[in-house]
Amino acid sequence: MRAIWFVSQIALFGLIASRMMSIPNYFQYYVAGLSVMTLYSAAIFIGFDIYEEAEHGVFEYLLSLPVSRKQLVLGRSIGGGLRAFIYVGPLIALSLYVIGATNPLSFLVALFALFLFSFGVSGMSITIAVIIKSSDRFDILMGVLDALIVRLSTAMYPLAVVQAANPLYGGLASFNPVTYAADLFRWGTGIEAIITLSNPLWPLLGIIAFFAFFTFFGVIIYDRRIEGGGWQ
Amino acid sequence: MSAILHIIEYDVRNFFRYKWWLVGLISMNLADLFIMAIVYNQMLSSDVMKEIGSYFNFFAPGLAVTGLFASAFMIGREVNMERRREVHHYMLSLPMTRMELAIGRVLSGGMRGMIYMSPLLLTCFIFLRFPTIWQLLVILAVLFLLAMGISGLSIAIAVSTSSLEKFITARGLVYYTLFFCSSVFYPLSLIEGLGKDGKFPMVLVTLAEVNPLSGASDMIRSFLLVGYPPFSYASILNVVVFSAVFTFSAAFAYIKIIERK
Repeated sequence: MRAIWFVSQIALFGLIASRMMSIPNYFQYYVAGLSVMTLYSAAIFIGFDIYEEAEHGVFEYLLSLPVSRKQLVLGRSIGGGLRAFIYVGPLIALSLYVIGATNPLSFLVALFALFLFSFGVSGMSITIAVIIKSSDRFDILMGVLDALIVRLSTAMYPLAVVQAANPLYGGLASFNPVTYAADLFRWGTGIEAIITLSNPLWPLLGIIAFFAFFTFFGVIIYDRRIEGGGWQ
Repeated sequence: MSAILHIIEYDVRNFFRYKWWLVGLISMNLADLFIMAIVYNQMLSSDVMKEIGSYFNFFAPGLAVTGLFASAFMIGREVNMERRREVHHYMLSLPMTRMELAIGRVLSGGMRGMIYMSPLLLTCFIFLRFPTIWQLLVILAVLFLLAMGISGLSIAIAVSTSSLEKFITARGLVYYTLFFCSSVFYPLSLIEGLGKDGKFPMVLVTLAEVNPLSGASDMIRSFLLVGYPPFSYASILNVVVFSAVFTFSAAFAYIKIIERK
């Protein structure tokens, strides 16, 4: 389903919408952003798995394993991020075929940032899932979050345009991990001319901070909320 | 008739069981309008800007149609689930004819689409302009026919697919082909231009032209936007034909397939 969505977004929406825009090479710009959007939504899925485990009693089994809570949450965020990456890997390869990568070193840095981004999103999903403990509420919150995080980012449009459209949107987009990941991916593939990324270090630091916050904050929250049931 | 009303009541009640899902969907739709459309407004090429004026105004009617599509399509998921869990045996045991059951399901799918779409259409009226009473009646009638056709299409897919995965895959193909090969997100002239340049398959250009989503979006635009696009009876005809074909084929498929062992 996600693959169909991805391909139709590139082959239909991306192709036609790029004709509508005044930004040069918008098609390539959009394809790069689409890869990050897909990675984000694939990494979010770990939270839904947690509800399924709670429903089927797998949670109790996991708690009985000879691993600490910290190891458990760390393993889950990295596992969730890694599987999202494996899942989205072919789609990223497809987008690379469309965009092309000029500098292998930059691309490796961007790939590393995408790994951290993916782990961070998984950590965020796990943290929210264990705080809420209600699959319905989680579902809605993730829907709303997805709508806001993706649209208030540079995944679909450059930051300067977002800022020109609405300074509040621009401000929010400047502190958005999806913006960091999308800009770094574009920088890594060599299409940064469109995004005018002055220093790739800032988005990289932003992604590291995002990953660190949700992994370590996730450990604390997981530790406190994991026991005592109350799953809905 | 009362049997059909019972089925509609059953399905509409079920629809509100997904209230959280609906809130999520509506927030995504509003984010599309109040964030994406506003930002896209800044990026339009001068040619397109000259043609449509403002992307926000252009997109608002399209968004109401996409909302209608997504919510009217939901009935298919339930029908597919009933088939997989064999709830349809219970449905078949109810004191009503097969035709009443089938028509009730298609109608209720359409009603659900209309219920969900109403706030989006109202938002569109508030930000663009309110139509005259006759225009409003035409809009509601055409959208209801479209919702029935979508509901029928969804039921036809649901009863023809044996697993949820197959249904979801088929739904994805239909969803994205109809959404993106239509004038919901961009003017039809853009797709036709790509076709003429040989950059887009002509079969998809033709699909975009006869697509009922294009017809419904452009009809609302012709009433609410000044001068673009011109009102066309052909777009209404497309919706009527789509609705007639899928309402009856879905009713027929529903009756035939759910009776199979």
